[in-house]
Amino acid sequence: MTDGVPSGSFLTEEQSRSLLILLNMIVPPNKGQGLPGAGELDFVGYVREFAPDQIEAVQNELDLLDQASQSQYQRRFADLDQNEQDSLVGRMRKQDVEFALHIVVQTMGCYYQDDKVVIALGMEARPPFPKGNDVVSGDLSLLDPVREKKQIYKDV
Amino acid sequence: MPQDIVDVLIVGAGASSAAAAWSLAETRMRILCLEQGDWMNPSEYPSTRKHWQVLRDVDYNQSPNVRKRDTDYPINENDSAVEVANFNGVGGGTILYSGHFPRFKPSDFRVKTLDGVADDWPIDYRTLEPHFAQNDMNMGVSGLPGDPATPYHEMPLPPIAIGKMGETMGRGFNKLGWHWWPSDTAIISENYEGREKCINLSPCNSGCAQGAKSSVDIAYWPVNIRMGIELKTRCRVREITVDENDMATGVIYFDEQGIERFQRAEVVILACNGVGTPRLLLNSKSKNFPEGLANRSGLVGKNLMLHPWGRIEGTFTEMLHSHLGPQGSCILSQEFYETDPNRDFVRGYTLQVVRGQPPVNIAVEGTRRGDIPWGEGHYEAFQKYYGRQIQIEICCEDLPEEANTVTLDPELTDSHGIPAPKITYRVSDNSKRMMAHGLERAAEALEAAGAIQVVSHGQVRASGWHLMGTARMGTDPEKSVVNEWGRSHDVRNLFVIDGSIFVTSGAVNPTTTIQALALYIADTMKKNLANLFD
Repeated sequence: MTDGVPSGSFLTEEQSRSLLILLNMIVPPNKGQGLPGAGELDFVGYVREFAPDQIEAVQNELDLLDQASQSQYQRRFADLDQNEQDSLVGRMRKQDVEFALHIVVQTMGCYYQDDKVVIALGMEARPPFPKGNDVVSGDLSLLDPVREKKQIYKDV
Repeated sequence: MPQDIVDVLIVGAGASSAAAAWSLAETRMRILCLEQGDWMNPSEYPSTRKHWQVLRDVDYNQSPNVRKRDTDYPINENDSAVEVANFNGVGGGTILYSGHFPRFKPSDFRVKTLDGVADDWPIDYRTLEPHFAQNDMNMGVSGLPGDPATPYHEMPLPPIAIGKMGETMGRGFNKLGWHWWPSDTAIISENYEGREKCINLSPCNSGCAQGAKSSVDIAYWPVNIRMGIELKTRCRVREITVDENDMATGVIYFDEQGIERFQRAEVVILACNGVGTPRLLLNSKSKNFPEGLANRSGLVGKNLMLHPWGRIEGTFTEMLHSHLGPQGSCILSQEFYETDPNRDFVRGYTLQVVRGQPPVNIAVEGTRRGDIPWGEGHYEAFQKYYGRQIQIEICCEDLPEEANTVTLDPELTDSHGIPAPKITYRVSDNSKRMMAHGLERAAEALEAAGAIQVVSHGQVRASGWHLMGTARMGTDPEKSVVNEWGRSHDVRNLFVIDGSIFVTSGAVNPTTTIQALALYIADTMKKNLANLFD
């Protein structure tokens, strides 16, 4: 599990603490399926490598969350208890359907391309090329009713 | 080389250029193609990497404004209901296209006669038929003969796999008694001409690492080069020059070092697509052509058609593995293609059934929509969609309107300082009614097929792949830019062979028709070589 500010992070320590909590709120660990929470993956490394243009937006969204926490509870978001965190995030999502949108988008990109998650989806953790995928040809006898149709294009 | 001159200079190395160059090669004329982009390296395509889903987002994005490669030019589309999609490189738009390859139909060439709207083409389907067939052979097209919605034709290869999702939708269409058929597809279903068959990588729209998708950098250009055609990359044409007799003399271009050069030519052929071609003509002002080259009709850049495009997706309970297989090609329905006087619109549309989305897209869209929650239940909700989605896209025929235009932006330029294009485009009332009808019918089809949830995305803005109409063909120089075989009315050694010359848009992806037209024009040029400029 990621713990504290990863080396080379573009986040402050406070942003990093908030992010860890928020990520696991978005996608918590799923023990039944043996899946990690989003906070257990290297979100910072992922954004740095694949979406560096999103860094500022991620920082801003974390700052907004922390400001709201301080405004309402006079404490940092990471220092709230879980009920308070849930309540605050729930309220912010209600007020703005696009709350933390950039973080959510990057979370999904990071999570659903992670090896453990990809394997849990029943796929191999590999690029599509060169092995490719099998797709059944399909039953073309289903076309029989269409074949019985007369020409449907207009001849000119 | 002293006073270097070529017989034929082609600007652009995309679909139409490749086909025309292939045809003209047998003349043994000296033919040079200038392309502003690079050769592609398939080993760099996203599907060769584990993180292919995100690697498509920028470098292989369909929009030049997002991609921002130094070989791209920006496009001002602030005043357009549709964003332009293209690719600049050897292969042009075929690098990122789906390979969905249905032909225009006979009625598409006779819209005025049949429906009293727009104009008839100066040529017809039968004229293009042998060129469609030749192009299918050259490209490597897969399909199933016998479709009652299109004139009978055979393809060199059997259809690509339609999968369980194709079967599912087929049953749905059958329940409604509607037409459907496996799509003609420019993807090889079997090994062909030294190329390895499709192995269902899935993300065709970010380049095919297998080389099974018939992009013209693979299907045409290697052959063309062996036949002696010269192709120079990273050469961006700024202007076509003309003499006092209104004859093109060549082009001014920037080479890969950014040095401005002049290339003389006996014949100039434009193959830069429905945005790039009018841009270049409008940038080629001279004393005799103050409003842009070949523009005495005033129609260069006008009548832009883009195919208003709708998208709707259905979710099914059964695992269909719908995220696998050629992304944009599976089956289609053309039940509503031809005009029906009982509807409140003229002309019609194609329902293009495409594969489900890959995991990241499902997660992002589902989460934003609220169908996939944050927190507990997230993964279970995600699984309801993964591999269980079928999408239907609605390709509406777009009718020409002079107010829909490509003009030159007064401020925006590319990296060489050449004025960039500005798009002004609105969706017509006829298209809006057609789109509403198409979305309703697509929902009906998904439900008939057993969808438990149907989500409509309506008309999609980022869908402007099909760039047509901005240098239309016709027999009347006052009402068209080029004649019935692509030659400019005003400049007798200047030809246009891309989608710009379309008179109407049909309701299908235009690449096969663009290439058939290019082959037809090249063929006509060959037949008229002795008096090409008369």
